[in-house]
Amino acid sequence: MTELQAEQAAAVPQPEAGLQRSRYFDVLIALAAFAVLAILPMLTGSKALLDFVIRCSAFGLFATSLNLLVGYTGLVSFGHGMFFGLGAYGFGLIMQRTGVPVPVAFVATLVITTIIAAVIGAICVRLKEIYFAFVTLAFQMLIHSTILSWVSLTGGDQGLRGGIPRPAFFGIDLSNHVHLYIASCALLVIGLLLMRQIAQSPFGYTLRMIRDNANRASFVGIDVWRAKLTIFVLAALFASTGGIIMALFVSGAYPEFAYWTISGEGIFINMLGGVTTFLGPMVGTVLLLILNDTVTRLTEYYGIVLGIVILFFAIGLRKGLMDFVVEWYTQRRNGPVE
Amino acid sequence: MTRTRKPGVSRRATLAMMGAGAVTFAAPWVARAQAKTIKVGMPTILSGRVAQLGTSSRNGVMLEIEKVNAAGGLAGRQIEMVIRDSKGQPQEAARVARELVNTDGCEILIDAEASSGAFAVHEVARDLGVLCLHTNSETSALTADPKQHIPNAFRTARQGVHDSIVGGSYAAAIAKAKGLKKWATCSPDYAYGRDTTGEYVTYLKRFAPDIEIISESWPKLFQPDYTEVVTKILQAKPQALYSCLWGGDLTSYIDQANIYALFSQMEVFAVNMADYTALTVVKNLPKGIHSGNRYIKTYPATPENAAWGDAYKAKYNEYPTNWSWENATAIMLLAEASKKANSADGKKIAEALRGLKIKSPFGADGTVTMRAEDQTLVGYAIGWGTTIPQEPYVPQVQAGDWKTIFELEAEWKKSKGYT
Repeated sequence: MTELQAEQAAAVPQPEAGLQRSRYFDVLIALAAFAVLAILPMLTGSKALLDFVIRCSAFGLFATSLNLLVGYTGLVSFGHGMFFGLGAYGFGLIMQRTGVPVPVAFVATLVITTIIAAVIGAICVRLKEIYFAFVTLAFQMLIHSTILSWVSLTGGDQGLRGGIPRPAFFGIDLSNHVHLYIASCALLVIGLLLMRQIAQSPFGYTLRMIRDNANRASFVGIDVWRAKLTIFVLAALFASTGGIIMALFVSGAYPEFAYWTISGEGIFINMLGGVTTFLGPMVGTVLLLILNDTVTRLTEYYGIVLGIVILFFAIGLRKGLMDFVVEWYTQRRNGPVE
Repeated sequence: MTRTRKPGVSRRATLAMMGAGAVTFAAPWVARAQAKTIKVGMPTILSGRVAQLGTSSRNGVMLEIEKVNAAGGLAGRQIEMVIRDSKGQPQEAARVARELVNTDGCEILIDAEASSGAFAVHEVARDLGVLCLHTNSETSALTADPKQHIPNAFRTARQGVHDSIVGGSYAAAIAKAKGLKKWATCSPDYAYGRDTTGEYVTYLKRFAPDIEIISESWPKLFQPDYTEVVTKILQAKPQALYSCLWGGDLTSYIDQANIYALFSQMEVFAVNMADYTALTVVKNLPKGIHSGNRYIKTYPATPENAAWGDAYKAKYNEYPTNWSWENATAIMLLAEASKKANSADGKKIAEALRGLKIKSPFGADGTVTMRAEDQTLVGYAIGWGTTIPQEPYVPQVQAGDWKTIFELEAEWKKSKGYT
């Protein structure tokens, strides 16, 4: 048996046992990643690095959840940013107005997001392709306009002012920088792990089937609408969690969080990192934030640099970085093309 | 065996680029400030639609920094400005502000952000305890609301409520004299536009109770076409029009309204007209538009102010803006407070800033004061006048009365539940 054949044999999924094993493997990787992130503050005194990781957590959860829609289900949402904004505002408002403990506000925000995402999703997922994209964009602008005009609740275009109170719970004090950092890392790792489980579950494979051929999926008895709606709501929950982290980071919520540019950034991160691998968007997030931080440090012509990078990925690589790396790696293992 | 070259970038080039990326990324964490200079960080908007806010703020700051450094800096330490673009996004403003303090070692922040960005930086100042001077946000709540108050944040800009009081009393006097009873308003549809118009109308009615608002228009911010707004106003036939459109919006509005000869049919009160960004850009500046002063080198009519405006023009080849003087004032106050405290330490400067009165080209009486109770600037030149199409554009400015402002401001604060 040649190496190639062996490779192919190994790639044939062995249902139960294989799934179980890969799940343990994922959990192990997640634990290792969390351990590395958690000891980082002991190795470096750099607060900027911790800030960087906190922002990566917020945008990483957001972008990866968008990939559940774009990459796995083929739903290109242009309005995913609304759930990021919803998370930030929901959490900020609950903390400011009610003074409940942080975990309660966290759960309550997710409940609110679930309800709103279910309503919006029920309308949107009936539509396909560009119609879906535009209706999600329309809902996003609706939420953005609501935030702008409901001044008595949201503070209008000045955002939620006065800081978000964050009383300590279970010995965790989120106003402490290191505590916030650890909490963000934990949310990121748990979020990614959950999303990975969704992507690798039978439900995840159903989504891929819907992406590739929705008609066939419905012929084999899958309720396409329900599956799409389920993933729409699940993705919204993770985006909302990203928004909560961002709200904690800036200690406020601003209408820009629910603006279409955030959705655009999500799409761009996915382009940058690649949509065919699970970690593509996470890599894209790190890339974009590094790019953002270094370029704004060096020049005020950020837009032109970003434009060139987009061109490089769109025309030069024609795919995201992770897609490129994975392809390059398999090609290398399989030997040079004859 | 032939190896086909795949299109795209070679492995080596990719690795080289990744390496280069890693180096540029790591560099800032390695670099550390020299102990002798004091770094002052300034997040502002240097790109996008309101990039002029950032550039004219920066110019205002740099003009003064040169003078302060030539005179020995802050308590013997030369000032080094670190100015960075936030692209007008609040989360970026917060990030940049944190980075300036945590990574670049800035000991003082000049927050030259607009609206929501200023509140985001305010939270950073609250969190890090660093001395922060807000230079562009005119939203009254930033300093008036006791919930916002922190001992290390100050505002060296105008305040919306001051403008409304002066504007309202000025307009009411003219309304009474000319019998202007029917008014229309036309302001941009966002918090600044709505709040400022609301407060203006409140004070207008307070001083001239018999006026009524017969038409309201709320064009979008950065709207390109104002035809429907202009025709709506003309159909309502008001005797006077109030607008707080600003910058490019105001100039396009005037250019378009000129086609309909709107300005000959009613008295127009445009609070943001008397700023060079608007005055010099309008194609045919109509005569007789009433405007509040933003920055104009002929008001206050002092040699100091004229000299400052000319020095700025000589250096940057354009006239200063409202943002320029507000930022310049921040540096003047910093320098004076540091001299008084004989220290460059943020806490000591903050202590010295409270209640500090300094000589200033922008003062109503040649001085401006950092009011101790709410840490905001008072005593700056504030007044209204009418335009002419050429320099000096607004020849006669009627000064606002600070005594009245203080009285009505106190009343306003009480009505808002701030005191």
